[in-house]
Amino acid sequence: MMHWTVLLATEVAETVAEEGGGLFDFDATLPLMAIQFVVLVAVLNVLFYKPLGKALDEREEFIRTKQQTARDRLAQAQTLAQKYEQELVDVRRQSQDIIASAQSEAQKIVAGKVQEAQQQVQQQREATAREIEQQKAEAFASLEGQVDALSHQILEKLLGPELVR
Amino acid sequence: MEILDGLSLFNTFPLAELEVGKHFYWEIGNFQLHGQVFLTSWFVIALLIVAALAGTRNIQVQTAPKGFQNLMEYALEFIQDLAKNQIGEKEYRPWVPFIGTLFLFIFVSNWSGALVPWKLLEIPGGELAAPTNDINTTVALALLTSLAYFYAGFSKRGLGYLKKYIEPTPILLPINILEDFTKPLSLSFRLFGNILADELVVAVLVFLVPLIVPLPVMVLGLFTSAIQALIFATLAGAYIGEAIEGHGGEEHH
Repeated sequence: MMHWTVLLATEVAETVAEEGGGLFDFDATLPLMAIQFVVLVAVLNVLFYKPLGKALDEREEFIRTKQQTARDRLAQAQTLAQKYEQELVDVRRQSQDIIASAQSEAQKIVAGKVQEAQQQVQQQREATAREIEQQKAEAFASLEGQVDALSHQILEKLLGPELVR
Repeated sequence: MEILDGLSLFNTFPLAELEVGKHFYWEIGNFQLHGQVFLTSWFVIALLIVAALAGTRNIQVQTAPKGFQNLMEYALEFIQDLAKNQIGEKEYRPWVPFIGTLFLFIFVSNWSGALVPWKLLEIPGGELAAPTNDINTTVALALLTSLAYFYAGFSKRGLGYLKKYIEPTPILLPINILEDFTKPLSLSFRLFGNILADELVVAVLVFLVPLIVPLPVMVLGLFTSAIQALIFATLAGAYIGEAIEGHGGEEHH
């Protein structure tokens, strides 16, 4: 088959050579094709390579900036979360402090009140004891007077009134 | 010759026809043009421009790209990667349009030759096919690549670029000069030969066995077409990168 093709090609080439054609027929097609191709390069540069290349670059830039902002935001969110956690710990500690201080204060108040009450009780008891003592003394004093009078009477009765005086 | 006579019997069927080296000539002043090449190349260019317009009609930057924009962005990223790999991170950006257009133009040309049934459209001489199966197109692209790497070298390193001809030793001067001729030659003939051969093989197979049998070859043709576009663009990028870096830089990668 190769043989045939070669034969065929030579045959045809022979026939067309007479008409001024052939496989290697260089003519004005070459420079015009070159010019046409250069024009095509220029046209496609404007229509295709520049706008689409710009779009590719812009998209890359867009994705990069988006990624960067996302990364920044993530970092920001993380620091915020850390800050809030810190604050939470602080607040918890503060609340515990407040509770503790309130408890101790209450304890103090209770102790104070108890002491006060005890003191009052003590005072009252003392006052009452003093009153009792006083009344006892008064009673003794009046009793003593009565004892004197009664002993006088007894003496009068026993010895007679003359002797007594 | 008897075989060929037999074949010309087949030729009377309208099923498939082989025409190599016949051109649809346009005359402009004293110059001759291959009209069929320009017709299909305009189709390819129109396709590329329409695709570019559709891909950039409503550019969404802040959302994921959808639909056609997505496809074109994929293509652009592929091209940018290609240029970046060959030229390097620092210098690749201004060369993306050139290398990318080389790739897109050759790729769409090759696939249009393989996928669009051009042969159904009758033109007065020759037949419509991929623009890259004409030697003029591939040589034009290869010469532009040469110009591009010369420009890259001189604009980057000034006259110091000429030093590369005597590096590593002045003994290699003729070989280094020869390289400047072999580069466009190999670029253009590789592309031209591959595409023409592929179309010829498909045509011959269709000519012999019209049904089913040519299909695997056609699929293979699609594959080689894509690979050829990639090779052309990659080599163009490699030449430009080499001119920018200089010979000393080559050993680094």
